[in-house]
Amino acid sequence: MNANTLWLITIVGAPLLGAILLLLLGRRGARAAGWIAAGAAALSLIAVVALLPALERGQTPSFGFQWIPATNINLAMRLDWLSLPFVLTEAAVTLVALVYSWGYHHVDERSSYFYALLLLFAVGMSGTTLADATFLFYIFWELMLVASAALIALWGEGEIRSAVTLKYFIFTHLGSLMVLVGLITLFNATGTDSFSALRAGVTLAPSLVGAVIALFLVGFSIKMAIFPLHLWLPDAHTVAPMPVTIMLAAAMLSMGTYGVLRFPMGVFSRAEVTRFAVPMMVAGIVSEVYGALMALAAQDIKRIIAYSSVSQMGYILFGLGTLTYNGVIGATLHVIYHATVKALLFMCAGLVIRATKRRRIGDLGGLLDRMPVIALCSGVGALAIAGTPPFSIFDSEWMIFSGGFHTAHIGLSVLTLFGSLFTVAYALWFVGRIFFGPRPEGLTVDPVPLTMLAPTVFLAFLSLVEGLIPAPVFAWVSRELSLLLGGSW
Amino acid sequence: MSGDVRLVLPQACLAVGSVAVWVLGRLFRMRNKVLALLTGLLFAAALGLLSPVIRLTQAGILPTWGHTGSGGAFLRADPGALLVASIALGLGALVAVYSGCYLSLDRRYETFYPLLLWLAAGLLGMVLAADLFNLYLFCELMCVAAYVLVAFRRGDDTAVEAGFKYLVMGSVGTVTMLLGISFVYRGTGSILLMRSGAPGVWTRLGIACLLLGLGIKSAIVPLHTWLPDAHGRAPSSVSAVLSGIVVPSVFFVLLKVGLGLGLPAYELGTLLIAASLLSMTVGNGLALVQSYTKRLLAYSTIAQMGYVMLSVGIGLRFGILVASQAGFFLLLAHAAMKALAFLCKGICHFYWGATTIEQLRGTAARLPPVAAAFAIALAGLAGVPPLAGFVAKWFVLIGTLQSAHVLGYAGLTVFILNTLLALGYYLPVMGRLVTQPVTQSSADAEALPELSPWMGVPVAVLGGLVVAIGLYPEPWLNWCAQAGSFISGLGR
Repeated sequence: MNANTLWLITIVGAPLLGAILLLLLGRRGARAAGWIAAGAAALSLIAVVALLPALERGQTPSFGFQWIPATNINLAMRLDWLSLPFVLTEAAVTLVALVYSWGYHHVDERSSYFYALLLLFAVGMSGTTLADATFLFYIFWELMLVASAALIALWGEGEIRSAVTLKYFIFTHLGSLMVLVGLITLFNATGTDSFSALRAGVTLAPSLVGAVIALFLVGFSIKMAIFPLHLWLPDAHTVAPMPVTIMLAAAMLSMGTYGVLRFPMGVFSRAEVTRFAVPMMVAGIVSEVYGALMALAAQDIKRIIAYSSVSQMGYILFGLGTLTYNGVIGATLHVIYHATVKALLFMCAGLVIRATKRRRIGDLGGLLDRMPVIALCSGVGALAIAGTPPFSIFDSEWMIFSGGFHTAHIGLSVLTLFGSLFTVAYALWFVGRIFFGPRPEGLTVDPVPLTMLAPTVFLAFLSLVEGLIPAPVFAWVSRELSLLLGGSW
Repeated sequence: MSGDVRLVLPQACLAVGSVAVWVLGRLFRMRNKVLALLTGLLFAAALGLLSPVIRLTQAGILPTWGHTGSGGAFLRADPGALLVASIALGLGALVAVYSGCYLSLDRRYETFYPLLLWLAAGLLGMVLAADLFNLYLFCELMCVAAYVLVAFRRGDDTAVEAGFKYLVMGSVGTVTMLLGISFVYRGTGSILLMRSGAPGVWTRLGIACLLLGLGIKSAIVPLHTWLPDAHGRAPSSVSAVLSGIVVPSVFFVLLKVGLGLGLPAYELGTLLIAASLLSMTVGNGLALVQSYTKRLLAYSTIAQMGYVMLSVGIGLRFGILVASQAGFFLLLAHAAMKALAFLCKGICHFYWGATTIEQLRGTAARLPPVAAAFAIALAGLAGVPPLAGFVAKWFVLIGTLQSAHVLGYAGLTVFILNTLLALGYYLPVMGRLVTQPVTQSSADAEALPELSPWMGVPVAVLGGLVVAIGLYPEPWLNWCAQAGSFISGLGR
């Protein structure tokens, strides 16, 4: 076992051990829970970063052994260039969300369980991206759902939380089952659940290929909350406690993108996927415009940002659907940049709610002079999400649109470009309505904890840096292309 | 009488033990806990006595005992029967220990343990029987004990009613079986379960009657109407045995009788697939509208048996070994998960009289380990990884997809939709476990109940099993593979 393997195990193992420790400590560990959780998440992030040099040297850290030899099921993990952007995003978002929850979450006797579930949620996501065998992939995929559903059911806001959890669970579980059927078809075709067999190429009956790709695309689109499969998202994101919302929106949605890249695009060839290109682009555009319009109509400030995710995932699906070099790279970059900006916007919304105890946008206004730092961060977030240079999302949207114009479907690309106007509209509306204009009667502003403010400022700064210096991230992301569509770029 | 006497030792142990426990309880007025421990030990001893036979069958030898001639009647060990028997004995031991506390408030506990042993003895004979005479006899022995156990709390009108309903429907099943046996005898002049060649008209009629009779006893929709009452009204420890093992064992016998009498695997498989679609959908659909926890779990048993039927049906219809194997694996997993759920429910009933789903509120606050175990059981039943139910689901899907046939895909679609439907009742029950009670009644203000180890240990063992089978299914899979290939072999 070399250092690479150890680091690889640490990415998943540190949060897992942290969660087990917290569960065992129970109420005795309530005070230290936040520190333990953040420590575990930090270790996980460090492990990801520590593996970067190895990846640059051309190594792929991996380990694996037989789990259920009778049926060829393995316990294998592997970090390659396709996993890296996602696991990096996930680990960073987890750490930031945990630090934010120090201020957000009041310590009580159930705190250990709260942090333990957050860590398990993180384990589910990092495990999903690192799993190198189908069985294991699905276990982590479902752990992600179970942990987040438990968090919403137990710590969600309002009496509606049970109903929302049920909706969230059943809706996304439907997607999981579609993915499962696809995975098992691949398993039956190769006779092993190892991804290495999938990378080598799978021969399926021609009638099955289309069905399997469709199952994967629809299944992962539910996780990505693409219209009309998005119905679970606005409720779940609005009701979930803020750290969970951040992890849901910034990290979990991108797992759908990872799934699309790993399975339909990673296993099948370009010719087999091509017939799904236009449906993906169209679904992306519809989602983009619909999400933005709904964000304009929403009243709850958390719901506005939640609908913005539906819209942003539309850009990503469009980018993937172009099946062009620029489009796919843009989509992956968008995952990273969207995670930064979406976490930032939710943090700002959380701070505004915390300070004013109000969450309807009509009840807010004129907060600029009372909370200038938060206003600045929100402004950065809004400009970034609207695709304004020099902030990060400008770069990824540029790539996505450019990918679109490389296809034969110029009309669709033009539609996407103009659809982004609605994004500008709700982004400006969000900032303008909260921070400018007259301040409503009786609007009081309480101080906010520094542990909530610090990660927000950090993310605002990060989205500027990412936009100004895109080269390193761009270089990492572009390496994934050799793993996609049979390597035919 | 000739053959391997080790085959009947477990049954003899249970039967003698049944009388002994009754005498000790009745004449010497032994305490409930002593009887419970004794019964648990008897079950463990029977399991120990069975283990050499299990090793024999794993080596490929199927020992027999009795008159094996053409007019004979005998018992024969096979991997499937031994799997079912082992589940029964293991579960019996846990339920007996559990009852050491659970029945401590009941009168006439001294009749409970002999009946439980009697039921297990009948079950063992039934699954091992290699001819219709023994099968009928032992099936009746088992069922009579089950009828009485359902109505064990005879002061409760609804329990007596449920027991009576079970008795009436079970007897209809019995009579139908008897009719079937006479038809089979008319057709072939023999009652052995080993036949070669296509069955004639009388034999077919006989098989139809036998399948109908056994179908009633294994609660295949639309012959299921007794089950929710019986499982819902019996004491929780009895429900655990009924749902976990009695119903599945009758299903196993149904397979053995159908294939043993020469019904082509193709036909039985098609029949099972058709029945499974109905069982899954009706079971899950009706479970959704229940307000009593045990009735909900009872309907879930119907649905889960539907999944088993689908998988075994696909295995027989298309000759896919992994599907039959998955069916047996689900049988095993279901026994552990459903028994666990019933036992957890029983604990809530014991400490604060919870019968409805609403009354499960606050379980996590009062007894966190029980809430955790209950949640594990329900999550397992819902097929959440990495629990036993998920591994079963994984293999059921593999089997149905391998069929590559429209019937297989139809079964798959109904199965998936049912899995989603089932979430609609498992999740709310889990939600109740962790929410606070609506009103703080005076009883809640009392000190938190302390979980008795008599109930805690069986729950911990079953909970551990559900997780362990999920995380390391290899040995269990191998065992189920043998059972699956035995059943497939019968159909050839």
